[in-house]
Amino acid sequence: MQTIRLKLKEEVMSGNARIPVEVDSLTPDKLVGKNEAEIKAVKVWWGNKEENTGELFDVRVEGEAGSAEEVKIVMEGDLSRVKHIGDGMKAGEIEAIGDVDMHCGAMMTGGKITVKGNADCWAGREMKGGELIIEGDAGANLCAMYRGEMTGMTGGKVTVGGNAGECAGQYMAGGEILIKGNAELLAGLNMHGGKITIEGDAVMPGADMTSGEIAVKGKVQDMMPSFKFAEAATIEGEEYKKYIGDLAMTEKKAKGVLYVK
Amino acid sequence: MEITDVVCALCGCVCDDLVVEVEDNEVKKVKKGACSVGKSKLMGHGRIKSPAIRENGSLKECSYDDAIKKAAGILAAARRPLLYGWSSTVCEADKVGIELAEEIGAVIDNTASVCHGPSVLAIQDVGLPSCTLGEVKNRADLVIYWGANPTDAHANHMKRYSYISKGYWTAEGKKDKKLIVVDVRETKTAKVADVFIRIEQGKDFLVFSALRALLLGYEDVVPEEVGGVSKKDLLEAVRLMKEAKFGITFFGMGVTQSTGRHNNIVNAIQMTRAAHTHTKFSIMPMRGHYNVNGFNQVCTWETGYPFSVDLSRGYAWYNPGETSSTDLLVRRECDAALFIATDPGAHFPGESIRHLAKIPVIQIDPFANPTTEFADVVIPAAISGIESEGNVYRMDNIPIRLRKVVDTEYLPDEEILEKILEEVRAIREKEGE
Repeated sequence: MQTIRLKLKEEVMSGNARIPVEVDSLTPDKLVGKNEAEIKAVKVWWGNKEENTGELFDVRVEGEAGSAEEVKIVMEGDLSRVKHIGDGMKAGEIEAIGDVDMHCGAMMTGGKITVKGNADCWAGREMKGGELIIEGDAGANLCAMYRGEMTGMTGGKVTVGGNAGECAGQYMAGGEILIKGNAELLAGLNMHGGKITIEGDAVMPGADMTSGEIAVKGKVQDMMPSFKFAEAATIEGEEYKKYIGDLAMTEKKAKGVLYVK
Repeated sequence: MEITDVVCALCGCVCDDLVVEVEDNEVKKVKKGACSVGKSKLMGHGRIKSPAIRENGSLKECSYDDAIKKAAGILAAARRPLLYGWSSTVCEADKVGIELAEEIGAVIDNTASVCHGPSVLAIQDVGLPSCTLGEVKNRADLVIYWGANPTDAHANHMKRYSYISKGYWTAEGKKDKKLIVVDVRETKTAKVADVFIRIEQGKDFLVFSALRALLLGYEDVVPEEVGGVSKKDLLEAVRLMKEAKFGITFFGMGVTQSTGRHNNIVNAIQMTRAAHTHTKFSIMPMRGHYNVNGFNQVCTWETGYPFSVDLSRGYAWYNPGETSSTDLLVRRECDAALFIATDPGAHFPGESIRHLAKIPVIQIDPFANPTTEFADVVIPAAISGIESEGNVYRMDNIPIRLRKVVDTEYLPDEEILEKILEEVRAIREKEGE
């Protein structure tokens, strides 16, 4: 096993402007086989300029790894303006200690990311596989798509310990999202596959969904007026009303399932 | 001297039949065609007199060359510059702006970002079954204004193009037409409507979905009340939509900037599609500034995306919410900003203004405004459509050429930007050596 510790230097965020650092080049599969000096020389974007990782992060490497699966990256320091943590990651593990910025775990296909804090918008965007655990809250567009794309998350598992922002799982086509808190407006919007479980409350869930499944254990505020009640259902010993929708997409397409209490 | 067919450079209506009286190189009177707001702009007010640079807290007048050099120095050194505005100037200036953004790795964004940006996003998601304002004038027998109040905001809109106008198949004007207004309050426009639907604030999305379900024939699933509107009123609106020969929905910021934002517009467009199962229906955003649409056109053909484009990594990354101006400023991401033909000092949230006070700000504008109060470099420009010409896009995507009616010594936006770009390139070349 190898642990790569990357701690953002304080001076990077000490100016008037808090310019984001984009670290999609720092994933276990991209750093495997590199020694400390080589990791320090990997380029990351800081605004419109590329810098050496070693200029922005304190880098420490412990142990050795034969493959990406054996690499664990631990990110520390003020990560609230560090974007694209684990973006495109294929294997291995990333642990981010503190709140992270946008696109954490975007496009990931494998491995595991744990955020010990909140994750800003677009966490798990277009995720294909692997696991993303956000211990705090997730911002808007969790597991959704890049602007203009018609497919969001297609695989993998995402767990949010707190609440999720607007449009969680928009255009989701596969995989699983568990939100332990509340989901803001329009969770599962345009969903066409996969499963979202919301343990807290939700507002207008399932709009324009054509397939997939959403279960809301708390209250639903502003139920969509275009869903059809199908039957009473029992899931894990609890009573739900099962709705089919969204009929606003025409009856032929409306194959989404929404369970509400 | 009387000048006819003058084009109004104020709102997205871009009225092109104004008659203006000019004497001694000054607009003396607007004789015909303009609304009161357009007239006021043509008559002129509060110009920035000279280029200026802020020193020890106050603006000191300087030459164009000095101001341009100072601006170029700020932009060339910036790590995350923002170039914002672009809606009250011409496409030719927008084009140079995008070239500048590419050169310095900036984020370029226009006022759509805080206006009809959600409409542009929605159009990307589901397309836009639209038409020209000429078609509306000649054909529409049902006009819907949703979250828009043209009586106050686009004063000539109803008269020239929609409810009140007389066209080829609508020779009787409003006698031949029905007007539905959907809003959260009874606006002046609502007062003249045949049907006024007052909805609860933030519930537009639900009401669109209900109308779609009704238009598609699923009356049984729609509850008795949706978003504060009774099913009876919804059914009446649907009846009018079905009976129309040609329907048009115009929507404004009451729906783009309220809860649901661009998803409201996706839903409005989907409602238009549902109406197509019965009749001809169209939909159009009530664009605000006279060339807010034009910037989106130019930006799309230059970068592939309409606004909020981040060029920092050498390619276009488009993600409103992340790369949109207010988000960037509230998150304190930018280290320099250029504002052209706009006034964030008056329109942006307080938190973003507080950040702007801490970073170098460049302003290019004919008029002094609250942004001038904190700008570090101020560059006055000619007024597009009065003192300089160029192309703009009307709200229905029709390009119209603005005319010049008086001469000026102020430089047009395009020329100022070209000079800044040239200076930036010289600095970068020197750095490269």
